[in-house]
Amino acid sequence: MKPIKLLALFVIPLGIIIAAVPPDRVKHFRLTADELLQEAGAGVQFVSPDVVADMLVQKDPSLRLIDVRTPEEYDAYSMPGAINIPLSSLLSDEYTDILNQEAYMNVFYSNGSVYANQAWMITRQLGYENNYVLEGGLNYWFGNILSPEVPSQTNPNEEFAKYDFRKSAAAALGGGSIVATEGDAPSVKAVKPPVTAKSKKKPAGGC
Amino acid sequence: MGPLAPYEIISENTNFLLAFFIGIAFGWVLESSGFSSSRKLAGIFYGYDTVVLKVFFTGAITAMLGLLFMSLFGWVDLDLVYVNPTYLTSAIIGGVVMGAGFIMGGFCPGTSFCGAAIGKIDAMVFIGGLFIGVYGFAFTYPWWEKMYMAKYLGEPKVSEKLGMSDGLFGLFLIIAALCMFIVAEWAEKKWPREEY
Repeated sequence: MKPIKLLALFVIPLGIIIAAVPPDRVKHFRLTADELLQEAGAGVQFVSPDVVADMLVQKDPSLRLIDVRTPEEYDAYSMPGAINIPLSSLLSDEYTDILNQEAYMNVFYSNGSVYANQAWMITRQLGYENNYVLEGGLNYWFGNILSPEVPSQTNPNEEFAKYDFRKSAAAALGGGSIVATEGDAPSVKAVKPPVTAKSKKKPAGGC
Repeated sequence: MGPLAPYEIISENTNFLLAFFIGIAFGWVLESSGFSSSRKLAGIFYGYDTVVLKVFFTGAITAMLGLLFMSLFGWVDLDLVYVNPTYLTSAIIGGVVMGAGFIMGGFCPGTSFCGAAIGKIDAMVFIGGLFIGVYGFAFTYPWWEKMYMAKYLGEPKVSEKLGMSDGLFGLFLIIAALCMFIVAEWAEKKWPREEY
């Protein structure tokens, strides 16, 4: 028998079977309410402002900040390099390739964390990955990263390390000014906050 | 390697090692099927040798049937299978450039390495051209960026666009492939050429 006939003998019946069965027999990937609650409860979506500040200072190209506030608020102030996707147009087609991707670490932010969290929940429900929320939002960013408070003398060294890091990050990101840690507190080198976000590689194919 | 690497069941290094062995096996199969010969590869454009068409379409419909059946049995969630995003303009231009290079050079990227491995000089020249193209594109990327990213369509499927089920489209594709094979075998008889 010619190979082409042999092939036809196999694939045509299989094709007829697969065409005859109703489509979408498989449960598509959507988070159930339970799973979403679990993720939200564990706070996996939050990225600490220190991590974001460090990535900004290091000019980490994988970081993409997304401002979910209105365009007016975005024009008035936005974080360095941030792009604006207002929450109301989150589902618009032009943003799908920004939100559903594997190359960047998207970080949503708003004034607090409510709107950013809503954006995260919607995108997560759609099954998108690599979207995160800036913990505490812009309010915390301003109050603690761009103008950190001097810790009191009785605080542990880590607090001073954090303060020094934030102070220098603020200087690099254009907020506040460098003032040496006052008093005779032990001088500690700024420690790099641990970066937990993983960047996935895209699978590639071809002949 | 499918779910193994992303879920860290195997390490990145093991993944590379497996890729290395699979790559060698793939190259070996390509070579032993005669795909390291540019005459055989270019034959598809002149009609005297259509083995490329037959091999790749058989591969495509086999993989398609496998995925559709595994999805039917609930073993694979097709939504999680990576599909290259479509940028229409660059897909068309890239296809034309790739096709022209294929006709002129007689190799596609994978088979050129296969040919170079058995010492074919034309394959080595082809690889040289390949690198010139890759670096040329990379260094002049800002010029192309707008065109490169134009007409983003997401990850469309032909079956979705035509409004039919994946399975039905699969059946049509199988029939189309078999018709193509018949035409290809007819062409081989019509424009024969001796292997040398």
